[in-house]
Amino acid sequence: MARRISGKNFITLAVVLMVIWLLPLLLSSLWVKVVTSAVIFSLAATGVSILFAQLGLINLSQVALIGVGGWVLLRLNYATGLPFTVSLLAGGIVAAIIGAVFALPAVRMRGLYLALVTLMAAGALQILFNAFQFPNGGEGFWGVAQQSAGDVRRPFLAQTDGAYLRYVMLVVAICFTIVGMHRFAAPGRAWAMIRQSEANAMAAGVNVTFYKTWAFALSGFLAGISGGLLAGALQQLDARTFVAGDSILLFALSIVGGAYHWLGAIIAGLLFKLLPALFNDFGISADLTLVIFGIALLHAIITAPKGISGQILAGISSLAARRRVSRD
Amino acid sequence: MIDVKNLTVRFGGVVALDDLSLNITDDVVGLIGPNGAGKTTLTNAFSGFVNVASGSVSVNGLNLIGMAPHKRSRWGLARSFQKVQIVSDLTVEDHLATVLDAKGANRSLRESAIARALDFVGISSARNIPGADLNPYQRRKTEIAKCLVGAPRVILLDEPGGGLSEHEMQDLRRIILGIHPEFGAQILLVDHDVELIRDVCTSTAVLDFGKLIAYGNTAEVLRDEVVKAAYLGR
Repeated sequence: MARRISGKNFITLAVVLMVIWLLPLLLSSLWVKVVTSAVIFSLAATGVSILFAQLGLINLSQVALIGVGGWVLLRLNYATGLPFTVSLLAGGIVAAIIGAVFALPAVRMRGLYLALVTLMAAGALQILFNAFQFPNGGEGFWGVAQQSAGDVRRPFLAQTDGAYLRYVMLVVAICFTIVGMHRFAAPGRAWAMIRQSEANAMAAGVNVTFYKTWAFALSGFLAGISGGLLAGALQQLDARTFVAGDSILLFALSIVGGAYHWLGAIIAGLLFKLLPALFNDFGISADLTLVIFGIALLHAIITAPKGISGQILAGISSLAARRRVSRD
Repeated sequence: MIDVKNLTVRFGGVVALDDLSLNITDDVVGLIGPNGAGKTTLTNAFSGFVNVASGSVSVNGLNLIGMAPHKRSRWGLARSFQKVQIVSDLTVEDHLATVLDAKGANRSLRESAIARALDFVGISSARNIPGADLNPYQRRKTEIAKCLVGAPRVILLDEPGGGLSEHEMQDLRRIILGIHPEFGAQILLVDHDVELIRDVCTSTAVLDFGKLIAYGNTAEVLRDEVVKAAYLGR
């Protein structure tokens, strides 16, 4: 059993490395940018999915936390000479701390009430972003000046857009691995038990407050990292990107993609960023994607609780089972 | 030794436990009483799930009241629930591992603790089966096994016999009677099934309307006219 799983992991790793190497070679420069954004948003979607799939909690502040990570990266970029990856981690950590603060109401609330509280927090951050904007190389703490933005340093080996896409995919793959390690270790078991019943979890010795806070911090960390990656990709961030309403859309798409598998987060990222760009390319209004997302959400809620990724994985395993039967 | 002293629990105007005192020294002690007598409230006060108005619950001199619920569990208080709490996507082994995660058991001890508990209740073969695929008795046994890992000191079993067949009840008797000799924990057994109580509990306490109405040797308690009246109604 163990050997078969490690074999499967090996194949996954090989495929991931292949995609990381090949994808930038196959895409035109416009599509490299679009795919970079899509991959970055899959990382943020993973954070939403962890809270929903592992704990049954709804977090509607993710896009605001992406903004926090982006703000920290830009701030450090202009104020210090720190390497990109260090600033990126700092952005992740700050967003994790803010995410953990958002978890305080989660200790007592669930469902709709918690969702509303996180949405309010996202609204508050949206106002701050609008009021103070994102650093662009100006003076002072907020670092904003009436000038065109300065340069955001990229990692040494990822100066071009193509190489930066590879860097982004690598970071996202590492973060997915971290999430996977959580799911199949002590935090994953504790989360599952909390989801079933908090009393039961406490009776098993699980510190419910700690593990709920940890889940929010992890989710915030992933948002912060994706914000930093976004700042590196776009070279400048705009407050209009981080409206509270987009967090609802990201949550909905995480459900459509499937919250129970990393593939679902990738699908969510692609729907969020790639589909509107494709529609533009075809000459169709990108707003039409919202209609499609609405239909897809209904479809997911009614017939596919594990989302598109759940359907794909079920399809693959039933195909594999059929092949095994025909071989025997 | 479990020492419950002047324990009072109120829910609004309702007094669920009324100045209850109980000194438990035997290895397996039963707790019976009609519906609403306060049995589950007593186990919940023990676990820390309800606010205690006054009084104490001490084990070997250590007062548990005021300790956070998860800390009581790490100290060695284990319990099962009336409604079995099995997580559908965790395997039997994962359920036990969660308890050991919290207690910080090291790797080599974990493996032997899990194997020993599963073997003792007799579900070693179901070790890797997820909760969703377990039958009701396997679920019950998983919950009991969960109570046995990580050196428990006191185990509260809240109606472990609910909904079991006669054959399964026989097996459950064997399990409950074996726990103290094998794991050393003291057991407080809450159940409606007088037969089960009679077979496994050395002494038994009877609650009615939040008060202790009888306590002592199980056979004598069950013969008590007051107890019969409380059970049969007045």
